[in-house]
Amino acid sequence: MSDLPPPSPPQPTASDGATAQIVDRGFQRYEGPRAGVGQAIRAVTWQSIRSTLGLGRPARHKIFPVLAVAIAYVPAIAFVGLAVLVGDILDPNEIADYAGYYGFITAAILLFAGLVAPEVLVGDRRNGMLAMYLSTPLQRSTYLLAKALAVVATLALVTLGPPLLLLVGYTFENVGPDGPGEWVTVLVRIVVAAMAVSASLSAVSMAAASLTDRRAFASIGVVLLALASPAVAGALVDGADLSPYWRLIDVFSMPFELVYRIFGEPGNFPELSTLSILAVNLAWTLGSIAIVVWRYSRLVVAR
Amino acid sequence: MGRMGDATRTVPCDAVAVSSIIETTGLVMEFPSTRALDGLDLRVSPGVTGLVGANGAGKTTLISLALGLLKPTSGGISVLGLDPSADGPQLRAMIGYGPERNVFPDDMVAYDYVRHFAQIRGLPRDEARSRASDSLYLVGLGEERFRALGTMSTGQRQRVKLAQAIAADPRLIVLDEPTDGLDPVQRDEMLAIIVDVNRKFGIDVMLSSHVLEEVERICDNVIALDAGRLVAQGSLDELAGALGGVDVEIVEVADRRDSIDLVAQRLVAGGWTVARRDPGLTVTGENDEEVFDAVVRAVADSGARIGRLGRRRRTLDDVFTNERGDSSDRPSTARTGGTE
Repeated sequence: MSDLPPPSPPQPTASDGATAQIVDRGFQRYEGPRAGVGQAIRAVTWQSIRSTLGLGRPARHKIFPVLAVAIAYVPAIAFVGLAVLVGDILDPNEIADYAGYYGFITAAILLFAGLVAPEVLVGDRRNGMLAMYLSTPLQRSTYLLAKALAVVATLALVTLGPPLLLLVGYTFENVGPDGPGEWVTVLVRIVVAAMAVSASLSAVSMAAASLTDRRAFASIGVVLLALASPAVAGALVDGADLSPYWRLIDVFSMPFELVYRIFGEPGNFPELSTLSILAVNLAWTLGSIAIVVWRYSRLVVAR
Repeated sequence: MGRMGDATRTVPCDAVAVSSIIETTGLVMEFPSTRALDGLDLRVSPGVTGLVGANGAGKTTLISLALGLLKPTSGGISVLGLDPSADGPQLRAMIGYGPERNVFPDDMVAYDYVRHFAQIRGLPRDEARSRASDSLYLVGLGEERFRALGTMSTGQRQRVKLAQAIAADPRLIVLDEPTDGLDPVQRDEMLAIIVDVNRKFGIDVMLSSHVLEEVERICDNVIALDAGRLVAQGSLDELAGALGGVDVEIVEVADRRDSIDLVAQRLVAGGWTVARRDPGLTVTGENDEEVFDAVVRAVADSGARIGRLGRRRRTLDDVFTNERGDSSDRPSTARTGGTE
């Protein structure tokens, strides 16, 4: 026997037309790596964000998101434009600082808070997608985490984006924070404030969306809560002359009051301590999360 | 809470070599108003397994338990050697599921839907994209893959559900009534694809159906449930195979109205065992070939005509009838017409 290796098959060359072939792989077994639950969470989060913003969907699903985003960004664009045009004679910070900016976009935030969580949660329960998701590596907890991330991220589009635009615009026009240290401080405050508002309103909105299988009811519930709680708080404190701490029941105003405190400003209710505002926001958030978890733990999901 | 890490790991699919796909011991599932499964002991072998039973027999409850969507009231269940309650995420990464209901966001296109679930089941993004297309081509929807799900016909939606179930290359696919709503042609095509998925790619299949005929056509194994209890389990050959003997359906001609009786008398006289069954006879003897010949001669001598002549077989319908002693609430033997 010879020790020579068997002859190699002829190697195709670029000019060798006879060996050219078109290979249709088609469906085959997959032997490669697989990602864990983290990728599943990211996939559901991204898909939920896309769906809420109407991406890849018919035009009618884009109306509300576009409207809300426009309401949120137009004032910021206007203020930056003001800085460009008359920044040397007028300090735009006097008109709209970072904490006070939310006052201009309350409607956009309210619209998104009422729209996003019902869109993200209710549909899955109604059309059976929840059972489909739970037939994958996702569990109820990881599913809810993915959905919560989607709601927070979508709300951040209107809570984080506009103040950041303001910061960048002001900075380019030399009416922004003084020096890198101050600039980073403002940036951190903007991010923390936006996340606080998003997390608090997301939790409340998700709680409402978990309690009904009708998207419209959930949205209306969120909006009514946002409108009624300031009115009730105002009536109790200003009308009935009760303790100013009754204002803490105002679920819609307290996140924005916390924003003022994050920026070191007294806000609209200086009589309230920062600690109490922080505590009530935490309470609303954690209480809402508890409602969502309780509701989903009791859902019987079969097929 | 599930395992939250996102570390890439290597293929779980073939890592689990098990001799049975699903095993249950004393499995009980009670809902507030009903006992859906009542002490189920079963063992499902690899291959294509049909889960049959009438509506309310417990098929969907068993599937839900196998996927870990429900926790059993008592008893145990293991799927691919894992406990669905304790090892849910790991197990479900190896299972593709096609539900009975059309659980689709109507404005999502088929390709996005299949890709989305392939990614959730762990495929890298690029791989999920290419396998979504491959899966849709495999089920015959290659040209339709960018159509919105809400605009698809029932048959196309059933195919999308199958494509979604196989895209991530699972070890096992569980299909709940995959031919529901299909016309006979679509049903044949769907069953052929399901068989291909098992035979060509080695993916085990468990499908639930209340149509016995389609289970008999494609399944290697059968689990028959009735009111939450196990009626029968085993290979199709064991449960519904040749029984020995010949079934003959006789057509009477106008001038020989007693021809069936005459055929029976001639066969009995010839020493064959004969039983009347409308509209013909069941004839048994030592050798089926000799029985065939005797039946043909007797029919010819009696002046009747043969409508159908074939080996006597036990069907799943017989299994249900024997076990229940009645036929009032058993699954259908065939499905008429589909809806689109």
